[in-house]
Amino acid sequence: MNLEDELRSALRRHEPSPDFTARVLARVAAAPMRQAPRPWVRWVAALAAALLLAVGGLGYRQYQGERAKSQMLLAMRIAASKLNKAQKKVQMITHRSNS
Amino acid sequence: MPERAPSKADGLDFASLVRQHQAMVFSICWHVLRDRAVAEELAQDVFLSLYQHLATLESPEHVQFWLRKVASNRALDVLRRRQRRPMVSLENAPEPVAVSPTGDPMLGSALRRLVGALPEKARAIVVLRYQEDLDPAEIARILGIPVGTVKSQLQRALGLLREKLSRSLGEIGL
Repeated sequence: MNLEDELRSALRRHEPSPDFTARVLARVAAAPMRQAPRPWVRWVAALAAALLLAVGGLGYRQYQGERAKSQMLLAMRIAASKLNKAQKKVQMITHRSNS
Repeated sequence: MPERAPSKADGLDFASLVRQHQAMVFSICWHVLRDRAVAEELAQDVFLSLYQHLATLESPEHVQFWLRKVASNRALDVLRRRQRRPMVSLENAPEPVAVSPTGDPMLGSALRRLVGALPEKARAIVVLRYQEDLDPAEIARILGIPVGTVKSQLQRALGLLREKLSRSLGEIGL
């Protein structure tokens, strides 16, 4: 007995029930159709995504610049206020030592 | 019938494609699943999916490859979902009641039962090898596994089937 020949015989193709084709066609007719995406749709989507990324990147850089600027101004204001206080203290000490 | 994008596959209408390939798709599902009703349902799902993807298939050979791939992989998916339920292993598979050396329907039935008790991947490999007469490289492409794995699983499956079958033949004195 040749096992491989017996397997070929045992596993030969069988037809499904006679109404198989009709049932498939009925299901196809009843199913909502999913349209295959057209090739240009992918290019447009990729272009839109690239554009969005570029605009987003520019906007983010601008936002970072503005934020750095406001932080610098705040730091300068704090430094100026500290400097004023120190100057006032020096003036008070000088005034006391003179009098 | 709803409209679909025109197919590059061939000039045949969809009904002809179904009639041409239904035995192949149904038999892959049936031999892997060992359940006629589930196999018919799954084969219908495969053709429904074919209808939706027909515009992307480029030739009749591509259609046939696609059908084999989708039928095999979906049948394996069904088997994996069934794994939660208790399964009969090859060792515990029912023995054939009577077998004879060649061309006997009882031997065929026993072999189908033994194939149905193989591990899922090995089962699909054996079905594609002996039902569809595909070589290991084609089976590897369909199942998305290395050729070496196909060859080793096939050898192991044949060894198991041979051992189980000879034990059955010995028991009934053939």
